[in-house]
Amino acid sequence: MSLTTALNIAQSALFNTTRQTTVVSQNISNSGNPDYARRSATIVSTAPGATVVNIQRTTDDVLFRSNMKALSSYEGQNTLLNGMQNLGLAVNGVDNADSAASALGDFQQALNLYSATPSNTSLGENTVESARQLVRNLNDGTNAIQSFRTDMDNQISQAVADLNNLLNSFDQANRTIVAGNQTGADVSDAEDQRDGLLKQISQYVSISAIKRDNGDMMLVTSDGATLYETVPRTVTFDPVAGYDATTTGNAIKVDGVPLSAGTGGNTSASGRLAAMVQLRDSTATTMQSQLDEIARGLINAFAETDPSDPTATAGKTPGLFTWDGAPAMPTDGTLDPGLAGRIKINPAMDSTVGGNASVLRDGGGGGAGYVANPDGNASFSDLLIRYSQNLDKPIAFDPAAGAGSNASVMTYSTNAISSFEAARKDASDAADNKNALMTRTQQALSNSTGVNIDEEMSMMLDLEHSYQASARMISTVDNMLSALMNAIH
Amino acid sequence: MKTTFISSQAVSNAMRYQVLNMQQELAKAQTEVTTGKLADPGVTLGSRTGQAVSLSRDVDRLNGLVDSNNLISTRLTATQDALGQINDLTQTFLSALTADKGSGVASTVTQTAAQTALSSVTSILNTSVNGEYLFAGINTDVQPINDSGATGSAANQALNDAFQTRFGFPPSDPAAANISASDMGDFIDQLVSDQTTDPAWSSNWSNATDQPITSRISLNETAETSVSANSIGTKKFMIAAAMVSNFMQGNLNEGARDALIDKASDLITDSLTDSASQQAQLGLTENKVSSATDRIKSQVDLFQRNLNDLEGVDPYEASTKITSLLGQIETSYALTARIQQLSLVNYLK
Repeated sequence: MSLTTALNIAQSALFNTTRQTTVVSQNISNSGNPDYARRSATIVSTAPGATVVNIQRTTDDVLFRSNMKALSSYEGQNTLLNGMQNLGLAVNGVDNADSAASALGDFQQALNLYSATPSNTSLGENTVESARQLVRNLNDGTNAIQSFRTDMDNQISQAVADLNNLLNSFDQANRTIVAGNQTGADVSDAEDQRDGLLKQISQYVSISAIKRDNGDMMLVTSDGATLYETVPRTVTFDPVAGYDATTTGNAIKVDGVPLSAGTGGNTSASGRLAAMVQLRDSTATTMQSQLDEIARGLINAFAETDPSDPTATAGKTPGLFTWDGAPAMPTDGTLDPGLAGRIKINPAMDSTVGGNASVLRDGGGGGAGYVANPDGNASFSDLLIRYSQNLDKPIAFDPAAGAGSNASVMTYSTNAISSFEAARKDASDAADNKNALMTRTQQALSNSTGVNIDEEMSMMLDLEHSYQASARMISTVDNMLSALMNAIH
Repeated sequence: MKTTFISSQAVSNAMRYQVLNMQQELAKAQTEVTTGKLADPGVTLGSRTGQAVSLSRDVDRLNGLVDSNNLISTRLTATQDALGQINDLTQTFLSALTADKGSGVASTVTQTAAQTALSSVTSILNTSVNGEYLFAGINTDVQPINDSGATGSAANQALNDAFQTRFGFPPSDPAAANISASDMGDFIDQLVSDQTTDPAWSSNWSNATDQPITSRISLNETAETSVSANSIGTKKFMIAAAMVSNFMQGNLNEGARDALIDKASDLITDSLTDSASQQAQLGLTENKVSSATDRIKSQVDLFQRNLNDLEGVDPYEASTKITSLLGQIETSYALTARIQQLSLVNYLK
């Protein structure tokens, strides 16, 4: 050993300390960056006396994977919940105050008042006005649902474009990592970037990442479709310009494989895309079907029959509520998509277009053959009472609409609300749970790979001390050398 | 070597998430305190939301029925009252007839009594309540009974024509003195059976329909809630009074006059019986309506209670929740401030 060796060791210690300080300052400056994984500078002894600083990036694959998964399910659930919230507000109003069920209640009340005093024409007008309100409610509901679907389609298209962009960025980061690993360069920054991209991608679609040689990564969706393998695969989607009740939206295709939509209120959808498809193709269409069935039930309850045989089903024709298929009745027990958008008030009873509300009392909206009160007696209440009872009489509904198969129109309309709100409650509860899981996994991941400033600061103190010690070492050796030199003089 | 590790971000985020959650809860609790109802019934009730909507709808509907039953009760009471008055008038007329028989009073006295009874009863039968004629059946916008006392009335004309056809001279003709009691009796029987049935009745006497007003008095109960002027009692009274008023002209001999009075008295006695049973029937309906109303009211109470159970919140609970939330949030603010200060940096000089 010689003084020169001591000087060299102290010098290399100084050098190592500066490198470690760089890492500490990098850690501190990134302490607020959620995608940043803590670097640690470890000192490795290579030869006796010589030490090298090795920079390592802290990772925890298991936690990262579970965080990604939690992120996907939360994004899916949250998208569904927000969509349902918007849809519910647009169609049913705040606290269901504008729902078909409420409008139906108001209408039945008006009808009952009229049937108690059929001679009062203003009550008749009032009943028809309530009916108009109800029809407007169904028509507006249909419009709201279909514009929601159109809107959702646009958002899907936007999200697919975003996803493709993310995949391209992912491609660049991945290439940098592979190339860097092959040449032995430090790829930590690129890995941070790639992890951040993975988190973003998993918000759109649930993925599993498979690590391969040289840090290369392959992405597969939970459906099994390849999203990235050496090159990014394209995600394609054809938007539809405008929706009506009979329109079927296109599927999102990942590398040619259609992405499956989520199901249920506590949705199986992982990622935003599956939830948006679920909203567009299932939640909104179910709501539409239920409105359509309510519309059909109304046409049915107010159908006019041959006055000589009121129980006959043959020869029935739409009365107060009619549709574009009149004078035929809509097929019993069968869903007619979009009927709620096409239901209207019979012009014969609508005073705004030259009709007369007393036609509702007397019958004859479907033609002269249906007049049940030919003398126009002012207090004829039989038809009005029968209509009101029909609203409470069970009829067959299409089970495909998802709100029961045998119920009165009144009950069916509240069943529709129940089925929607039950799903929304599930969605809301599940969103809370999934949010908690996401927060927790994020916290765990952050704890395992994030930066603690206090630790870095204390590390800095250590480094400061070792720097001071090494510097003192150099100056001591310098003093010793000078003393030696002076002795030689 | 470290055993547990926590990142600075996790420390600050943990507090942030908690505060966010509590603030959301706070907003909900505030709405609940001010409205006394759940902040978002849909999310809290889930599949029972439909039940809540249906209950509040039913409460409105049942209250509507209570209102319409009140209207019906008004009509029934007015009808009952009118029937009572008609009864009194009929009794008076009957005693006038009984007094007349064999007493030799001037026929004009009885005739006037008949005319008075006729016009009074007609005007009562033409009573309207809320713009609806009480006794019109369902044809409530037309006066049910034509005024048979008016000159040129179809009913008068029909009676006189029948007399003319049967005997060959009008009732005022002196030849009326030759009509025998049995002829008179036959004639009246025929006349009554002709005039009290359609088409004569509805073309000469009445515009009412046989069908009374049907009303829904509870969710699944209907009742006939009016009385038609076409009841057999009214018919008999009308024809009896009109006969006396038209034929009692002073020329009739004792026998024919007694026959007329006898027939008229019989008809009026029948009419009184009929009217009594009608009043009893009406009383039953009144009872039915009022008990239906009572039932509906208790149903409304029950539904309202159910609705409260579903949608209501205990304001006391909600406000204590707010108090404790506010305390918690303040604590977390204080903690956040302390934790932010708690950094090694502050101690490194």
